[in-house]
Formats: sequence, C-alpha cells, structure tokens
Amino acid sequence: MTENHTVLRMNFWSGLGVATFAVLLLTWVVPHYGGRGFAVGMHPRTLATLGAWIMLVCALALVLLSAIALIRQRLPFFRLPKPGYLWHQTWPFLFVLAFIVLVDRFPLTWVAPFLIGSLLLVLGERRWYVVLLTAMIPAIGLYGLTAHLMRIGVV
Amino acid sequence: MIGFDAILASFAAALHYESIAIILGGVLLGYIVGVIPGLNRAVAIAIAIPLTFYMSAYAAIAFLIGLSKGTAAGSAVSAILLNTPGEPSSAATCLDGFPMARAGKPRKALKVGLLASVIGDLLATLLLIAVAIPFASVALKFGPYELAAILIFALVFIAGMAGGSFLKGLAAGGMGVILGTVGLDPETGAARLTFGHAELMEGVPILPLVIGTLALAEMFVQLDEYRRNRGASVIKLGKDKQDNLSFREFKGTLPTIFKSTGVGAFVGALPGLGPSVGAFMAYGLAKRSAKDPDSFGKGNPNGIAAAEAADNAVIPASYIPLFGLGIPGSVSAALLVGAFMIHGIQVGPLMLRDHPEMLFTLFSGMIVASLLMLAVGWYGLRIFAKVTSVPPHIVIPVVIFLCLAGIQVQGYGTFGLVTVFAFAIFGYFLKKFDYSFVTFLVAFIVTPMLEMNLRQAVILSGGDIAILLDRPIALAFVVFTVLMTLHLAWSSYRQWRQKRLKAAGS
Repeated sequence: MTENHTVLRMNFWSGLGVATFAVLLLTWVVPHYGGRGFAVGMHPRTLATLGAWIMLVCALALVLLSAIALIRQRLPFFRLPKPGYLWHQTWPFLFVLAFIVLVDRFPLTWVAPFLIGSLLLVLGERRWYVVLLTAMIPAIGLYGLTAHLMRIGVV
Repeated sequence: MIGFDAILASFAAALHYESIAIILGGVLLGYIVGVIPGLNRAVAIAIAIPLTFYMSAYAAIAFLIGLSKGTAAGSAVSAILLNTPGEPSSAATCLDGFPMARAGKPRKALKVGLLASVIGDLLATLLLIAVAIPFASVALKFGPYELAAILIFALVFIAGMAGGSFLKGLAAGGMGVILGTVGLDPETGAARLTFGHAELMEGVPILPLVIGTLALAEMFVQLDEYRRNRGASVIKLGKDKQDNLSFREFKGTLPTIFKSTGVGAFVGALPGLGPSVGAFMAYGLAKRSAKDPDSFGKGNPNGIAAAEAADNAVIPASYIPLFGLGIPGSVSAALLVGAFMIHGIQVGPLMLRDHPEMLFTLFSGMIVASLLMLAVGWYGLRIFAKVTSVPPHIVIPVVIFLCLAGIQVQGYGTFGLVTVFAFAIFGYFLKKFDYSFVTFLVAFIVTPMLEMNLRQAVILSGGDIAILLDRPIALAFVVFTVLMTLHLAWSSYRQWRQKRLKAAGS
C-alpha cells in the first residue's frame, strides 16, 4: 500500500514537472528557438509544438488523476524524504560531474585511475590490489587504444 | 531485386573468417555483459557503438547483433546461478533455474537454458528472413501518407504496450519527438532548438544521448540499488556426473521450446512489448499446458526452456518491423538504427532496394551468431559461471569510465561530456519515475522520418484531409490509431478506478 502511495505522489510531482516544462516549451522555447521562415508544407515548429502539446495534455491528466486519488485517500501531497536520502541520490551525480570537470581540463587517460579507484574506495573496496588493478587496467587499455591503435593521441 | 548468386555471395561473405571473428567478438562480449548482473543489452550496445566507428558498416552491425544475442543468452547464467537476472527478461528464468541449480543441478539448468536460447534465436532468425523481405517489398510501395500513418500508429502502440502508464508513455514519446526535431530544418534550413550551438545543427548527437540515457543513467540507478542489496551468493559448478544434460531430458523440453519460440516471435514482431513480456507469457503458457504444473517454480527444466526460448526469439523477431518498415520496436532495435545512421545507411524497406547485399549478409551473419552463441555458451560455461561473481562495485566504476571514454574517443569534447551528463540525469528521471524509455528513444529515432513523410503528405494533399479517403491503407492506420488511443485511455481509466475502489475498500 505504501508503495502505491509513493507511486501516486511520484506521478503527481513528475506530472507537474513535465507539465511545467511543456508550458515553458510552448510559451518560450519553441516560439523563440523552434525555427523561423516560410515553409510550403509544414512549419519548422509544427512537430515540436505537437510534441509539447502531447506532453502537456498527458502530464496534466496524470497530475489530475493522481491528485484525485491522493485527495480521496486523504494522503499528503508532499512527504519529506528521510535525512540522508537526498544525499544518497545526489552524490553519484556530483562525483561524476566533478570528474567531467577534471576530464575537461586533463586527459581522461590520466584522470581515469583516480575516477575508478576513488569510486571503488567509496563503494567499500579495501583490497589494495583490486583497487590498483581495476583502476589501472582500463586506463592502460584506453592509452593503448588511442595512442597506439587509433593514433589520435592521448585523450 | 537481388539474384540467387548474390544471396549466395552474401552468405559466403558472412562465413569469411574476418566476419566470423567479428561476430564471435560480439557474442563473447555480449555473453560476458549478460552474465554480469546489472549490465544489460542496452548498456552494452550503447558503450559498444563507439568501438564500431572504425569498422565497416556490415562489421559494425554484425558485431552489435552478435553482442545483442550474446547478452540475451548470457543473462540466463546469472539468473540460474545467482537468482539475479542479468536482463529483466531473464527474471522468468530465475523461477525454475535457481531452484534447479540449488538442488545440485546447475550445469543441467545452464545447458537447458543455452539450448533453448539457441533454438529460439535460430528459429526466430529464420522467421525474420522469411517475413522481413516480403514485408519490405510491400512497404516499398507505400507513399508518404501510408508511412506517416504507420509511424504515428507505431508510436501510439509502443506507448501503450511498453508497460507502465499510457499517459507517461505518450509524454515520453512527446519528449522524443521534440528532441528529434532539433537541428536544421530540412526544408527551410532554419536552425531549430540549437540555441546557437553548431554541434546541434545536425540534430542531437545520438552517441551522447544513448550513452547518457542508457549506460550512465543505468549506473546511477545501479549505485542506488547497490546501497540496498549487497552480498548475493553464487552457486558453484561442481563435477557431479548426474548434473549433465542427457539427450532424453533435452528431447523432453523440445515441444516447450518450439511453442515458446512461437510466443516470443509473435511478441517480438509487435513493437514495444519486449522480451520480458514474451518470456513471462511463454512461461505461463508452458505452466498451464504442462501435465505437472505444480512442479513449475521448483526446478522444472521446461520452465527454463520456455523463458529462455521466448526471450531469445523476441530479439530477431523485433527486427521484423525494423527491416520491414523502418520502425524500431525495442531499445536494442532503436540502437541498431543509430548505428546504421552513423554508418550512413537508412534502415527499413529502402535497404532492400539500396543495400540488398548488406541485408542478406546481415541475415546470414545473424545465423552465424546463433551458432557461435551455442559454441561460446557450451564451452565457456565454467568461465562464465566464474564471471557471475564479479561484484557490482567493480563493474559500476569501470562502466562509468567506459561511458566517458566513448565520448572522448569520438572527439565530442566538452560539449559531448556536458551532453552525456545532461542525458544521464534525464535518463535517470525517466527510469526513476517510470516514463517509458523505449517510447522516448523510438520517437527520437523515427521523428526525422515521420516529419519528412508528414511534410510530403501535407504538400501533396495541399492540406486536404479528404485525400485519405483515396488511400485506404493510410486511412486504416489513422482509424487504428484513434481506436488504439481510445482503447488504451479507457483501459487506463478502468485500472485507475479499480485501484481507487480497492484503496477505498481497504
């Protein structure tokens, strides 16, 4: 039952998010950036507008249906997640983003051992030889592939 | 049309040692990926696409098809030995595979699974060859009205059948359509949704999109799951002679394998349903038609045979709408379209006209892949059983690295890295909130084709919708689309009402 409640709340909030995004697309993004000019058949913006309308109608229906179900079952629309939950959801993204910033500045081949090794440590691996081998082998493989086989230099 | 000699030449090309080596590489890699829990077919193909950039078009597609087939067969190994399906579609294999392995017959269970996989795959491949060509010949006669109507019908069908909510499926399709329009408008040359980025002029690059939404997003989901489920135990293969599959035992599973192959092929030919539906439908059918239905779920080899034959039959069958009409019916078929696009080939009925040799070489390559699957699975059983024990905390960092490496090797640079990350977030939310990924991807892939056909139809008809009355096939598909939408909306409403009444009752 709790799972059903969670699904209802997820449907409500995700529907609301999609609907808001669709409104943004319809009112600002597509009219300004969807393409201009004279077209004999279909206008360049037609299909994108149609896609945004489909998103909006479906998302609004989803919001409406889940809101009715939540109200009828006297369930709260919002429930604060447990402390730490948000952090558990967010840290992998921040971790990868940090390495993307590093890869933008240094070659991935040099960054890779740190990326793999640190994630292994974060995930609880403590055997040094496992960390070392898992971190080094893919980086060496990439070096061999790009510098020697493809001859495009160290990426 | 291609002559008999050319068909023979295509088969000879597929049997060339270089071709066999490439397919073997694909099958082997697919098997390893399939065996490792958490890595699935879509992740494998997404990561492997950059590897195929330097191959010929045929080699690239043959490699990816081998990979796709290998993952389907390999995923049974972890389902049987670990009770964790390597692919969601192997969940049905767990039901009888794991109890059989736990009862001391892991080798027998694996061999039943392998033989069922190979037979299911091979028969469905032959069906594909028999059906796709006449299908494509008919489709070549279709004009823009018919193609536009069929594409719209396929999108609605996939949104409804892909599982989960129909509304979410359609919304995901809408997102795919919008992303599919990014780039220069083919008629006016106007830049659409490019925001001034020259990299987007040719559309959203498919590689960062698939790597981000499929592979990297999946790793974020895996990281979340890893926190909750740690420490599964693997059943080891022993040397017990009783644990070998006899011919009599294998013969006993053959009727189930044939029936399940039929179910899998039927499900695969319908866009959007996917291998999980096929495997569970075949399992249910095998259980219902068995003399001893109570033995199912307790280690009945027919349960494994049914699930595996159907699971593997779905993949070749899902290429029927792809090669016949150009409609990818599954994520792996959509990824293949991407790979074809990268190599400058438009997949669909036009392939029969423009690249018939390629089509026949691919078909023969698929048969070779099925046979290699048997050899790889049979002789590599012990090794693959060991691969099952590779823990996810080692797999996840390596796959994240491979995702970034795929982008860097192709020279996408900062733009590619940012795009892949943005699509990973997008894919994560699609998965977390259960928005149909297959509808999104198929909509993204077919939108340029849909737009071109719609545009031609509008120009030719002068905007007069009555022209549909002269085009019965197009009209039929328009009517089917409306009926399908109404039916799906009605059944979604009934489900919602039933849930509401149930909740009110409790």
